[in-house]
Amino acid sequence: MGFIGPLGPLSSKSRPTPPLLISQQKPDVQIREIKNCLEPKQLSESSTRFPFPPILRSKRQRFRSTMASTFSGDETAPFFGFLGAAAALVFSCMGAAYGTAKSGVGVASMGVMRPELVMKSIVPVVMAGVLGIYGLIIAVIISTGINPKAKSYYLFDGYAHLSSGLACGLAGLSAGMAIGIVGDAGVRANAQQPKLFVGMILILIFAEALALYGLIVGIILSSRAGQSRAE
Amino acid sequence: MADSSSWSTALIKISPYTFSAIGIAIAIGVSVLGAAWGIYITGSSLIGAAIKAPRITSKNLISVIFCEAVAIYGVIVAIILQTKLESVPSSQIYAPESLRAGYAIFASGIIVGFANLVCGLCVGIIGSSCALSDAQNSSLFVKILVIEIFGSALGLFGVIVGIIMSAQATWPAKSV
Repeated sequence: MGFIGPLGPLSSKSRPTPPLLISQQKPDVQIREIKNCLEPKQLSESSTRFPFPPILRSKRQRFRSTMASTFSGDETAPFFGFLGAAAALVFSCMGAAYGTAKSGVGVASMGVMRPELVMKSIVPVVMAGVLGIYGLIIAVIISTGINPKAKSYYLFDGYAHLSSGLACGLAGLSAGMAIGIVGDAGVRANAQQPKLFVGMILILIFAEALALYGLIVGIILSSRAGQSRAE
Repeated sequence: MADSSSWSTALIKISPYTFSAIGIAIAIGVSVLGAAWGIYITGSSLIGAAIKAPRITSKNLISVIFCEAVAIYGVIVAIILQTKLESVPSSQIYAPESLRAGYAIFASGIIVGFANLVCGLCVGIIGSSCALSDAQNSSLFVKILVIEIFGSALGLFGVIVGIIMSAQATWPAKSV
């Protein structure tokens, strides 16, 4: 492709001739031009049409005005938002899976000797399952909060959602590990000494509270997502 | 400005089709990895325990089926995600709406894949201890199965969130 500059393709036929100076023109044209310089020119219909004068707008404003009905905000912000929802669910499920598996193995081993205690010992498994629900809550909150068509979604919102998801997810992962190990040891010990049941439950509650802290901070962070600017 | 961040300038150069394709592949591939891992953990324990107690074999196949269900979840979501993949005119490829659709499919695939991975692993470990304890005391089978059902709920959470997120994968209209 040849270079097409502001004057059109480089050929002598299409290049316009430069305008004559006023002193080089005929007298009646000279009088008209001098009158035009002295009197204010009436703006014709064509010169008041948009865009006059041309406005230098930033790229983000261009997106907002040309695609106001479809998308507003930063383009890469949804990447971080969706990744936050993914982190919330995946890490919470990792913690829930670890808790369920570890304490489940303990229950099964213990149940061989004391089958009547199995149903009572399912408590650690239930508490681990709740961690998955915490992750599900945050993931659904985040993914329904990403809606660039209805509300602008800037990088601030994307990062807020990412941090919310990571907070809930990693807290759920750690709580799940704690619940798994405590549950495994607790149910095996409970089979040998029944008075330890209440103690096991108390320790499990402290471990579950860790995931709850993550859920609270995650909800607070994801509520910040709509507050990036004062509009 | 969006372009001033180095993450943004790197990310907007990657085609949304790349993200979508990797997301769909992870949805099915990692789910099947989780299912396979669970099946071999359960299966090996089941076969070993059945040497002295052959009666447990047919009942404990349900643990293997729970693991297989995890792979089925991955197949379902991968098929749903690939129907969300549309072709857009090449002028629209890097439009913000197509970028967002690519990210949505990618995140949905990651969610489903890794949730099913850990679910399959969990169900596999529980299934193996279910088989071992059933071999010693047959009243334990149903009780340990309750634990396994809690474990398989994790895969369902992943599928739910993955499908909710795949509804966000709207590409720009072709008429623009």
